[in-house]
Amino acid sequence: MCLSDRGLFSGYTAGPFYDEMFHSPGCARSHYARLFEKLGVMAPTQFEDRRKHADLSFLLQGITFTVYSDGRGTERLFPFDLIPRILPQSEWARIEAGLSQRVVALNLFLQDVYGKQLIIKDRKIPASLVYSCRHFRREMIGLEVPRGIYTHVCGIDLVRDSATGEFLVLEDNVRTPSGISYVLENRLVMTRTFPEAFQEHEVLPVNHYPAELSRILRTLSPRTEPDSQIVLLTPGIHNSAYFEHSFLAQQMGIELVEGRDLIVDGVVVYMKTIYGLKRVDVIYRRVDDDFLDPLCFRSDSMLGVPGLMGAYRAGNVALANTPGNGVADDKAIYAHVPTMIRYYLDQDPTLRTVDTYLCDRTDHLSHVLSNLPNLVVKSVGESGGYGMLMGPSAARAEIEAFREKILAEPRNYIAQPIVPLSVVPSYDSAAQCMAGRHVDLRPYCLYDGQKVTIVPGGLTRVALEPGSLVVNSSQGGGSKDTWILRGEC
Amino acid sequence: MNRFHLLHATEFIYDGPVYESYNEVRLRPIDDDRQSCLSFRLITNPASRGSSYKDGYGNWIHVSSVLPHHRRLRIEAESVVLVHEAPVPEPLSMPLAELDAMRSDLFEEHFEWLAPSSYVPYLPELAEISKTAEACCDGTVADFAQTASDFIHENFVYMKGATHVNSSVRDSLALRAGVCQDFAHLLLGVVRMRGLPARYVSGYLVSGSAGPGAKQEEVIGGQASHAWAEIFLPGGGWFGFDPTLGKPIELRHIRVAYGRDYGDVPPVRGVYKGRAGQSLSVDVRFRPALDETGHEQFAEPKSESDNSQEAIPERPQQHSQQ
Repeated sequence: MCLSDRGLFSGYTAGPFYDEMFHSPGCARSHYARLFEKLGVMAPTQFEDRRKHADLSFLLQGITFTVYSDGRGTERLFPFDLIPRILPQSEWARIEAGLSQRVVALNLFLQDVYGKQLIIKDRKIPASLVYSCRHFRREMIGLEVPRGIYTHVCGIDLVRDSATGEFLVLEDNVRTPSGISYVLENRLVMTRTFPEAFQEHEVLPVNHYPAELSRILRTLSPRTEPDSQIVLLTPGIHNSAYFEHSFLAQQMGIELVEGRDLIVDGVVVYMKTIYGLKRVDVIYRRVDDDFLDPLCFRSDSMLGVPGLMGAYRAGNVALANTPGNGVADDKAIYAHVPTMIRYYLDQDPTLRTVDTYLCDRTDHLSHVLSNLPNLVVKSVGESGGYGMLMGPSAARAEIEAFREKILAEPRNYIAQPIVPLSVVPSYDSAAQCMAGRHVDLRPYCLYDGQKVTIVPGGLTRVALEPGSLVVNSSQGGGSKDTWILRGEC
Repeated sequence: MNRFHLLHATEFIYDGPVYESYNEVRLRPIDDDRQSCLSFRLITNPASRGSSYKDGYGNWIHVSSVLPHHRRLRIEAESVVLVHEAPVPEPLSMPLAELDAMRSDLFEEHFEWLAPSSYVPYLPELAEISKTAEACCDGTVADFAQTASDFIHENFVYMKGATHVNSSVRDSLALRAGVCQDFAHLLLGVVRMRGLPARYVSGYLVSGSAGPGAKQEEVIGGQASHAWAEIFLPGGGWFGFDPTLGKPIELRHIRVAYGRDYGDVPPVRGVYKGRAGQSLSVDVRFRPALDETGHEQFAEPKSESDNSQEAIPERPQQHSQQ
């Protein structure tokens, strides 16, 4: 479908980047054709009305997140862009296969490093790399986890490389990944804002996520009673993802608790209720390892439950995700995930990863230091876009400051070439027209020990600043609804 | 072989009511081919619910919890231990120079025992001591370890109260003094920086034997809780070195736990709720072990209660919101 430039798309250009919507100027890709036809005839004022409607809908539902780095700690609306990110089912099938393979390999890796450590003894991954991970938990060594599952919920960040059009894995999030609530809410708002579009497109549904997560949590229960008590443990209202915690608890029909609501007696966890203590079987915890149990981890934690790890070790309570998972999503370990896939599964990785320089390797370090303006440098244990240097857009002083940091603690940094992310047309409300904005994709993978379930699509995050490649919500990013179209290829 | 019967009592007195008190206790002596823990019992007052497990280093950890309000908590560990033997390094051992070629292999196999740790960072002053020891020794790894241990024994002053339980080697290097915990940390740093894996040993030294050096032992023996280091000598295995005592490991060193440094093996560590401060006393006693006819096997060594900073286990407070 080729239409001449008009209306919302007048003057639109994706620049040198892969455009998810157009294969050439003015010509939409087949899976975007119907939507483009619809939008093409829409007046900017009509579109603006729908946009305001959508924003109001988010505001009224209180769909917010909290930003820490700007010093205000304020709750904000998560900016939402109305133009969906659409992928044909054939492309999604390949992504899904690649993610499943990766999740299974990451789970096997965690079983191994906290167990027999065969991949280390076999000299495939250096012990020094594993043991020096900030999130490697010695307390987990030798601990048998329920059903052998570590990675119950993973958010794996993908980007499309404009140079090749190929999806690459950018990073793994296997600790307490957040964002799924936005996937579900974005879809809800989209169906209200563009109801007719969902009649014209067969978009694969995402709303079974809470039911699937709930099913997996139930299988972890150490007791066979049908009324197993499952709770979601949140750090509380000041956490950036509190909206999601309350949303998921409500969707799954489970109690939302804070550390102070739980108590460990002997080696059993109980919830304090007005009817007395009630035994807890499974905890979907959204509290970081550090704060989970002050007896075992950080003793100054007020958020955790003293003795929880003892109950977990005794097999009386299940935790999801498993403590210690951070060793698998360390950004230096990331470079070795293809090794894990080959080692444990004897398969070639379906999804490629981005070339990664490990600053604690002297050969890599010298390359990194002499190419800082062309690289992105990341702190290995951080997430959410914190502790990062974007070489090309950084001021000289910022680059020099990072050079010092890298030299002081090389193990703490990795560097990667800048991936020219693909763009999706996004509405620029100031200019009242469409403009290409960079996107990534975070699908949410659920693992029950047998199979990996991924709700079709995931969270498309968009860098709303012109030219920006940083999509994290904490760094000014927004999101889009992600559509996987049935039967499209 | 030596058989010991020991009682290790830790008592916390709070200046107000506290509740939901949870403690991790590392007091069960190690069981291996050099030492056997014949029996072990942990009793708390008030009575507590407990569980136990082995950590990643092979140490036994007992977890005890007291939920109701209390103003005093006594944790008593009683164990009977048999010390079989204390191996000494072979006089002929690997030349120190060969260590460099093994560096990456040793790092792979013993990373935890070679990497800098929170109490034992890599410091130029430690490298300096390492160089001195290398120059003075006969060039073998065994003699290097011994020389390093002797150097620390001779050049640092054993001084109670000089440092506190959270002191890193930085403090003892600045003071040129410390207690057994610091002496062990110093030795760990010195040999690790030369490429030899080394681990912290928390345990007991049974005092009271007469003989040469008795005077000094009186000072040290006042503290039955003890710490030293074990060093991995390639080709030989793990050997203990006691830089505080300045003498070889004997049948009266009882090993309780291994760690990268003190931080991995505090005897008692815990949290409680309630707005109250605490004071602590630790009392370690050796009781005469009985022989098969019911007679005491050897005289009771000196025992005493100790309120010094050194014995204070790390015990961060947690206050409730109320």
